[in-house]
Amino acid sequence: MTTLDWIVMICTIIAIPSFGLWRGRGGTTTSHYLLAGKTMPWYAMGLSIMATQASAITFIATTGQAYVDGMRFVQFYFGLPIAMVILSATAVPIFHKAGVYTAYEYLERRFDAKTRALAGIVFLIQRGAAVGLALYAPAIVMSVIFGWNDRITTLIIGIICVLYTTMGGIPAVTWTDVLQMTIIFAGLILALLTVISLMPHGVSFTDAVYLAGSVGKLNAVDTKLDWDNRYNLWSGLLGGTFLMLGYFGCDQSQVQRYLSGKSVAQSKLSMLFNAMAKVPMQFFILFVGAMVFVFYLFAQPPMLFEKTAMKAIRFQPGYLAVQGRFDTAWRNREQAAEKLNAARKQDDDGQVAASTNAYRAAQKEVDGARRAGIQLYEKSTGSTGFNDTNYIFLSFVTTYFPAGVIGLVIAVILNAAMSSSSGELNSLAAVSVMDLYRRFWRQDASDRHYLMISRLCTAIWGSWAVIFAQYARNLGSLVEAVNQVGSYFYPVLLGVFALAFFFKRVQGSAAFWAMLTGEAAIVACSLFTHIAFLWFNVIGTVVVVAAGLVFSIGAPSRKTAAVG
Amino acid sequence: MKFRLPPETYDSEPPPVLGTWSSVYMFVLGWLALLIALFYAFTRYFA
Repeated sequence: MTTLDWIVMICTIIAIPSFGLWRGRGGTTTSHYLLAGKTMPWYAMGLSIMATQASAITFIATTGQAYVDGMRFVQFYFGLPIAMVILSATAVPIFHKAGVYTAYEYLERRFDAKTRALAGIVFLIQRGAAVGLALYAPAIVMSVIFGWNDRITTLIIGIICVLYTTMGGIPAVTWTDVLQMTIIFAGLILALLTVISLMPHGVSFTDAVYLAGSVGKLNAVDTKLDWDNRYNLWSGLLGGTFLMLGYFGCDQSQVQRYLSGKSVAQSKLSMLFNAMAKVPMQFFILFVGAMVFVFYLFAQPPMLFEKTAMKAIRFQPGYLAVQGRFDTAWRNREQAAEKLNAARKQDDDGQVAASTNAYRAAQKEVDGARRAGIQLYEKSTGSTGFNDTNYIFLSFVTTYFPAGVIGLVIAVILNAAMSSSSGELNSLAAVSVMDLYRRFWRQDASDRHYLMISRLCTAIWGSWAVIFAQYARNLGSLVEAVNQVGSYFYPVLLGVFALAFFFKRVQGSAAFWAMLTGEAAIVACSLFTHIAFLWFNVIGTVVVVAAGLVFSIGAPSRKTAAVG
Repeated sequence: MKFRLPPETYDSEPPPVLGTWSSVYMFVLGWLALLIALFYAFTRYFA
């Protein structure tokens, strides 16, 4: 990095949280710290909801995933708009009217204290793990660029994040997210324009899109129903809807955002803003990754994007042969891509078909050579499941982007990780204090006391997240890891809220045991079947609801409304 | 220690556009259908 990059990076990293702290200043109460005093406008909540979900992981791993696997990951988000509509019509007004600090507080009013506690603990377990993963992502930036130890980087990022979250609470977190997302949108557009401008002479934007599509990198929709396929239209619409219902309706890190709204309408608008913007945004991010793939058709990429892996295999027996195979395969693919591009310009259908076949065969050979490199690495280190997806986009940025822009991109990624983690830390503190400490330990303390405990819990959860992040290295593509963690726990939360909202007959003990039954079903699916993880969301939710109804057989029907 | 909104901020507040919340929801779902259709066409065209 140049001096300009360093200046841009440091200034941006300091400026964004500082803006959040300044904009969210003024409150000295627990309600201000945890709910921003219910004063937030829809656009701030909407961008904050988006920023909490779209962490650094989104930008690092999603672009890399498009490079390797194409754009099919966008289907994962197809359920999000459906979930947002359902939640806007149900959960948002219900939680607001109940006047709760956390979603799980509502469960006590509807069921009983043990159900509230169990839901709170489930949230703490799964979100506590996810926040650690989100913190780990920026460590990749530093390890790729400077060769720094991931663990030290995680520690530094974690400390900064915990400091401003502890000081400012949710107002600081939300306004930090607003500025963060604004810069991210600008950064994404800048990234795409830069990629396109770097294409060689003779390769237009249309040519680039065609070259990406010819080898399946623009596979945005797959209509084939396959239970083992992680991403297709049906798993996205059905599994994705259930997952997003669980995430946005039952995860306190998101519920807390729209609970901070100054009216129900403002909270609904923040959700619907996400419903409309999220899918196109993910498509755009994946498209940037696909364009990076096209760029590397004409500029030779490293065989493995993780520099430390390349160093590890450089002196291994067989390295020269594997590297030679990769070099040859890449040159053949470059020539095939050029021929296809030329054939298209001549409008010769026969030549286009022949060139397309040659281009696809060359791509397969490149993939095969890359796999051979990965196998060499795994054999030499004794490891399995090597995955360098998270390094692809950053390698590209640091090698080809102009001075200043590199610093900005890295700062944005670091801040994205911090803003995402900060929202999660604040919600973890809210649940710890409101659903456990205040409910079961000390109910009659002053507001000042709860504010102090909230800050203390933020610091404790931040410490835990940093410790967890130390062991995140071998979890594969981080974006999938985070989503998989969610799919193990959200279904039981979603199931119990479905029971609360829609099944008045079900009461406390039935709901409590239904949650445990649902979690057991998910664990069983994970251990004994090959069902893709997105389907856990459907299965777990259905099992919880069904078990709740079965356990309620013979129970008297509630005559009072479910909504508190 | 409940922290409630004023009563006038509940469901009685209409959306800023399209008149009713049901219309807004239908618009959002229509937007999703349009996106999926466009992505599907995009996939087929460039494959």
